[in-house]
Amino acid sequence: MTTLEEYETIDLFSNWDQKTQPIITIDNLKKWFPVSQQSVLFSRVVANIKAVDGVNLFLNKGETLGLVGESGCGKSTTARVIVKLEKPTEGSIYFKGIDIFQPMSREEELAVKRQLQMVFQDPYSSLNPRRMVLDLIKEPFDIHYPDMLYEEKESRVLEILAKVGLEDYHALRYPHEFSGGQRQRLGIARALAIHPEVILLDEPVSALDVSVQAQILNLLHDLQKDFDLTFMFIAHDLSVIKHVSDRVAVMYLGKIMEMCPTGELFRKTAHPYSVSLLSAIPRPDPRIKMDRIILEGDVPSAINPPTGCPFHPRCYKAQEICSKVTPQLEELEPNHYVSCHFPEI
Amino acid sequence: MAQNKKILDARNIYTYFYTESGVVEALDGVSFDVNYGEPVGIVGESGCGKTVTAHSTLRILPKNGKTVAGDIIYKGVNLLDLPDLQMRRIRGKEIAMIFQDPMTSLNPIFKVSDQMTEVIALHRKCNKKEALEIAIETLDQVGISEAEKRITDYPHQFSGGMRQRILIARALALQPSLLIADEPTTALDVTIQAQVLEIIKEMQKKLGLAMMLITHNLGVVAETTKRVHIFYGGRVVESGPTEEIFLDPKHPYTYALFESIPSLEKDKTRLETIPGNVPRLINPPKGCRFHPRCKYATEICSRVRPPEFKFGKGRRVACHHFEELDLHIDMESIRESKAIKEEA
Repeated sequence: MTTLEEYETIDLFSNWDQKTQPIITIDNLKKWFPVSQQSVLFSRVVANIKAVDGVNLFLNKGETLGLVGESGCGKSTTARVIVKLEKPTEGSIYFKGIDIFQPMSREEELAVKRQLQMVFQDPYSSLNPRRMVLDLIKEPFDIHYPDMLYEEKESRVLEILAKVGLEDYHALRYPHEFSGGQRQRLGIARALAIHPEVILLDEPVSALDVSVQAQILNLLHDLQKDFDLTFMFIAHDLSVIKHVSDRVAVMYLGKIMEMCPTGELFRKTAHPYSVSLLSAIPRPDPRIKMDRIILEGDVPSAINPPTGCPFHPRCYKAQEICSKVTPQLEELEPNHYVSCHFPEI
Repeated sequence: MAQNKKILDARNIYTYFYTESGVVEALDGVSFDVNYGEPVGIVGESGCGKTVTAHSTLRILPKNGKTVAGDIIYKGVNLLDLPDLQMRRIRGKEIAMIFQDPMTSLNPIFKVSDQMTEVIALHRKCNKKEALEIAIETLDQVGISEAEKRITDYPHQFSGGMRQRILIARALALQPSLLIADEPTTALDVTIQAQVLEIIKEMQKKLGLAMMLITHNLGVVAETTKRVHIFYGGRVVESGPTEEIFLDPKHPYTYALFESIPSLEKDKTRLETIPGNVPRLINPPKGCRFHPRCKYATEICSRVRPPEFKFGKGRRVACHHFEELDLHIDMESIRESKAIKEEA
C-alpha cells in the first residue's frame, strides 16, 4: 500500500526548521465570545466573555504538553481555536511557521487540518449514533483523500482499528454497542486515521472509570511512540497531567500562569496559583498530612475578570501592584515561564 | 458491647431492579456498618452499587427497584420493616443525604430560604421565623458570607461550590445523626473541592456525626474517612480501616484499583491496567464477580462465590485466594520522591 504522504499534493511547510522552531507557536491569542442583548429590531453586544485572554505558548515536536486548569479557564477554547473550530478575536497561531489564520486556498486549509486533529472529551456525544464505525472512521479519508479507492480506505480503517486495540468486526457496529472506554478508542482512531502530526486531546479520560482510564493512557503513550505524535493533553486532574506530559502549562481565567517541564512544576512550583492547585489535590495515601492552602471564593467571571493579575483576589501573596499591573509571562529560569510579580522562585 | 457502637448495620442486602431487559442485581448480599461519630468511605467505580446502597438505606429507590432481602438496622430498628410514615421521620431528621449534583438538587424556582425553612419547620417542629433563624445560622457555619442577605436569593445566583454548601447546610440544620454524602465534590473543581471537603470534615468533627462518604476518588477517601468499604459489581469486596487498606490491600481488585491511578508521588511510565470493563449487573459473572478481570483467578473463582474472611482489626476480604496472595503497594518509589521533596 502506498503511504499517505504520497497523496500529498502541496508542500506548505518547506520553510519550517524542525530543529529550532516549535511545531506550534501561539502568540497573544484572544478569543472573546460576545454576549448580546436583543431589543425589538437590533441586538447589541453588551459584554464579552473573555474565554481566552492573551495566551502565549508553544509546542515542540514529539512532546506532550499538559494544559491544566479549572473549568471555565479557557483550556478547551484554546484547543478549539488551534484546530480552527473557532476564529481568534486577536493574536495568531503558527503551525510549522505558517500563520494558520491567514487567507488560504481550500487545498492549503485542508493540508493544515490534516496535520491537526482533536479528540473530544465526551465519547458518548462525539460520535454520530446513526453511523457505522466503518463510516465514522472512513470520513476523514473521504474529506482529505477523495480520490482514494474504497478498498484502500476500508483496509486503512481496519488497520487503524487494530492500532487502537479494536477488532475487525467492530467496524460493522454502531457507537451504542461500545463501552465508554471503547468509544474513546474510536475517537482516537478517528483523529489518528489520516496520520496527523499533532493531536489535541480534550479531557480524553475524564469521563471514564479509573480502571479504564489507565488503559487509554497506556494506549496514548504507545501511539505517540509508534506515530511520532505531538500531543496537547488537556485535563483538570493534575495526577493524570503529571503522568502523561513532558511540559505543563497552568491556565487560569484565560491566561497562562506558569509553563515549565513537568518535574519542575512539582519540585519548583513558582506561581502561587500552581502552589494552591497542587496543595488542593486529595492524595490517596492516608499517611500524608499536608498543610493545605485553601483558596477563598470562586473563580471570577470571565465576563468581568479582575484587573491586573487575574488571580490576585484569591492570592495569598497579592499586593497592591497585583491589582494594577498585569504580569507578563517571563522566562525566569531556562524553560520555566511564569507570569507573577512575586514568584516563589 | 460491640452492638451498641454501630449506628447503622446493614446485613446481606439484596436490591434488584426490574427492567424490560431483565433483572439487574444491583446489590448482591452487601453488608456494611457505620459506627457512631465515624466517617466511613464507600468506594467503587460507576455502576458498582454505591448509590443504590444509599438509596436502599433511605428507601428512596425508584419504582422498579426493590430491596428483596436483608436487614438495615439503624439505632436498633430495622428500617426495612418500618411503616412509610415513620420512615419519613427518619429521612432528613435522623439520616440526611447530600446528593451528587448541586445543580439539580435545588429547585430553581424557589428561593433558598423557602427550600430550607420548609424542611426545618417540618422536622424541627418550629414556626417559619425560627426556622429562618436556624437556616441563616447554619448557612453562616458552612461559610456563606452575608447569609442573611443571600438566603433570599435563587439557586442560580450561587456558584456550584456555594450550592453544595447550601445543601450541606440544609442537611445539617435538621441535626441528623447520620449523614450520607453521595459524591459531594465530584462536580466541583479541585480548589472548590478542597473548600467543601474542609467544611464537611469540620462539621463532621464538630457535630460528632456519623458519615457515609460515597465516592470514586481515592484521595478524598484517604483524607476524610477512618474506615472504608470497597464495592465491586454490587458486592463489598474488602473493608477495614482506611490506612491499612490503602497500604496493604488484600483483594486483587483493591490492589489493581490503587495501581491503576496515576499518582503524584510515583514516577512510572506505564500504568497497571485492569483488562476489560466494569461488569454489567444484568447478567453478572458467576462466582466471584471480579474473576474475568482478575489475574490470579483460578477455576474455583468462576464457580463459587468467595466467602468473607475476617482478620486483623475488623478487616474483611472476599477472595478465595487471599491467604496465598502477596500484594503490596510499591512504597519504595513514594518514599524516595518524598525524600527529594524534603531536600528541596
